[in-house]
Amino acid sequence: MKKLLLTALLSTLSAASAATLVFGGNGEPVSLEPGNITDGISILVQRQIYDTLVDFEDGTTDLKPGLATKWTPNANNTAWTFTLRKGVRFHDGTAMNADAIVFNLSRWWDKAHPYSFRDQGRTFEIVGELLGGYKGDATAVIKNIVKVNDSTVRIDLNKPSSVLPNVLAAGYFGIASPTAIKKEGAKYGTPASKPVGTGPFVFQSWRTGDRVTLLPNKLYWGEKAKVDQLIIRSIKDASQRLNELKAGTIDFANDLTPDSLKSVQADKNLVAVKRPSFNVGFLSLNNRNQYLKNEKVRQAISMAINKKEIVNAFWNGLGISNASFVPPVMAWANSSKVPADYKFDPAAAKKMLADAGYPNGISLDLWYMPVSRPYFPNPKPIAEAIAADLSAIGVKVNLKTEDWAKYLEDRNKEPGFDMYMIGWTGDYGDPDNFYGAYYGSNASDDINWNPSTVETLLQQGRAAPTQAAKAKIYQQLHEMTYNAAYRIPMVHSNPLAAARTYVKGWVPSPLGSEAFNSVSVPGKK
Amino acid sequence: MGSYLIRRLLRTVLVMLGISLVVFVFVRSIPGDPAVAMLGERATPEAAAALREQLGLNKPWFLNPSNPLDAQYPKYMNALLRGDLGTGIKSNIPVLDDLKARFPATAELSVAALLFALLVGMPAGILAALRRNSFWDNLATTISLLGVSMPVFWLGLLLSYFFAVKLGWLPPSARLGSETDLQPMTGFYVLDGLLRGQPAASWDALRHLILPAIALGTIPLAIIARITRSSMLDVLGQDYVRTARAKGLTQRAVTVKHALRNALLPVVTVIGLQAGALLGGAVLTETIFSWPGIGSWVYEAISQRDYPIIQGGVIFAALVVSVANLIVDLSYAALDPRIQYS
Repeated sequence: MKKLLLTALLSTLSAASAATLVFGGNGEPVSLEPGNITDGISILVQRQIYDTLVDFEDGTTDLKPGLATKWTPNANNTAWTFTLRKGVRFHDGTAMNADAIVFNLSRWWDKAHPYSFRDQGRTFEIVGELLGGYKGDATAVIKNIVKVNDSTVRIDLNKPSSVLPNVLAAGYFGIASPTAIKKEGAKYGTPASKPVGTGPFVFQSWRTGDRVTLLPNKLYWGEKAKVDQLIIRSIKDASQRLNELKAGTIDFANDLTPDSLKSVQADKNLVAVKRPSFNVGFLSLNNRNQYLKNEKVRQAISMAINKKEIVNAFWNGLGISNASFVPPVMAWANSSKVPADYKFDPAAAKKMLADAGYPNGISLDLWYMPVSRPYFPNPKPIAEAIAADLSAIGVKVNLKTEDWAKYLEDRNKEPGFDMYMIGWTGDYGDPDNFYGAYYGSNASDDINWNPSTVETLLQQGRAAPTQAAKAKIYQQLHEMTYNAAYRIPMVHSNPLAAARTYVKGWVPSPLGSEAFNSVSVPGKK
Repeated sequence: MGSYLIRRLLRTVLVMLGISLVVFVFVRSIPGDPAVAMLGERATPEAAAALREQLGLNKPWFLNPSNPLDAQYPKYMNALLRGDLGTGIKSNIPVLDDLKARFPATAELSVAALLFALLVGMPAGILAALRRNSFWDNLATTISLLGVSMPVFWLGLLLSYFFAVKLGWLPPSARLGSETDLQPMTGFYVLDGLLRGQPAASWDALRHLILPAIALGTIPLAIIARITRSSMLDVLGQDYVRTARAKGLTQRAVTVKHALRNALLPVVTVIGLQAGALLGGAVLTETIFSWPGIGSWVYEAISQRDYPIIQGGVIFAALVVSVANLIVDLSYAALDPRIQYS
């Protein structure tokens, strides 16, 4: 017994002297296999284990070198050449080289690749979404992936794209060790396997439903981790994440609700951390509806909603409202011809509705999401506020909701919802990721509007040779979408995070996850 | 007794097969399809259709005329009979692996909750019955009324906030602290700590267990206290108790030997029924307390329409409830010699 107690005491002492960094995540990763996930917490854990070809500067969506030190397009943006960093090794000791890059990209993109494990239900759906399709598809962006030499890879494209490096920088596309994938086979990425990357942290263990434990990569090519251990815990409930922060059982956490800001600020052990905004929460108006197909009605609705007041009331200052579909960090894509803010003018809106032929008002359904998202943390009361504003101009609103899986499905089914709330958080720093996803040929079916003109502009945007040319195209899209008022941006929110005061060096990325190698806990007891 | 057991087991197997069919049809009848749920905000009809095809969800449920084995149910049953519960749609993890990893967590929590409910609820009920209409009786009745009407998630958050954040006595959630490293053996962490010679880990696990066990055990506690009280009152009014008293036995002997043993029968029934209720309550408790059990896992799967996980989870829960009921029935015979199975 004495010996046991002594061991226990010693283990407590040694644990206390090691710096452990504990992050409270909003759930468990789905998988630690890159390319095959889309959820935030999987990406966050993967960011620690894997590097991407291209990376983002801290706290921004600007590109910086990752595993590639240089990336250059050919003259018409139809081929990109990536020069790889030399001397980088995977955590298992194998070399990161052109073969490894080609292996990773190919298994995502090529359905016939022997290590894509498609027969096991792997979908790599994000590749289809961000890169237009898979090998052989008519719509696919990528035509071919070529090893030029040991440290050079070229990606040939079916159509010009200026955003390929931005896409490949997204957190989905971490580069994994081919040796590890071949060894683990189809179970690669599950809790029973050992994911291997080149990143700042090395995988140690994944306890199902509970936590992932990582150790620093002592041989990391970049900034080395400043803690002895990183634990990413799964805490689904937002109020429980706040409780854990207050109790000091975790050091920092994401995705707190905006109404917990006061509670965080009142606690002298905590600091509130506002993630830069990279999302849009919006109200979508369905042009299949007899009233909403009239542009004046849509503009009247937009003008009747006091967006600024709603954002102040429900986001606690953690967000802004403006008249742009893209977040403020990409303000260069906004046209000066569009007012900075949507006009709020109930009297003018009422007159506009009357001019459109509805002096006695109309009646519409408004669907609100049954789930909380950073862009709509509390959808029901927000919907009630919108309904109140609209009733002031004679639009009678029936509030509706349903289960999330059904909601996502029904909005795309005939006749769709009249008006509904939804939003989007970006994957990479380009307006294409916003306009393309909600106005292009890949957009959901609830608006049927000018697809050819918009698609042409989107194509031009992707092919634009210079930033200036690109800005011009997106400014045009901004004007078009503003006037059409099919999707009315309500908010660009700052997701709320918080940390214990001793946590140093945490620079949150607008994209929702960042590597924790710069974070230290000097004063942690 | 032996043939009774065999008949009961056979019936359990039939029930399980029935449940597998019901749950198969049921999950597919809930509106909202897994492909769309997986894609989330990105879901477009084209993307969903492509994903559905890749996942094999576009196949007929029961009968594919051109290839009878290439329908969803025959494939599912074929695998199920070989002990394969399928693979989670989103995670690519075999459902059985997840069950094995998560069930011990739910079991440990349920056992702790049931122990808490029994150790507090039974004495409270007995006391209330013996001191009928006294202060203690009123207190027990009031508390049990509060207990059954308290929403579990609210009680859980309240407990966590008060005891962890305000007082700092216990950890707010999870099964182990961040500093504790314990390699599971049985999956019951309190036990594993002792088995591995890490008493500190056992202590840590126990501290983490207290609040969720109280949250989960409160409703069963209230029910057990009420049943014990009324059953005890019932028995205390019986002739044989009066006879025992008349024979000059002490109050203690009458209570323990004659009344309690007979009063326990309905309590045991309730405990059996509570096995199902505990699994249901675990959904909320596990979510609030970040408890990596099957409750929160199946709950998540339902919102994601992850068919294999829902099916596996429900079949497994049904199995647990069946076994619990079997144990209850068998323990009747042990408690009451008049009951015989043949």
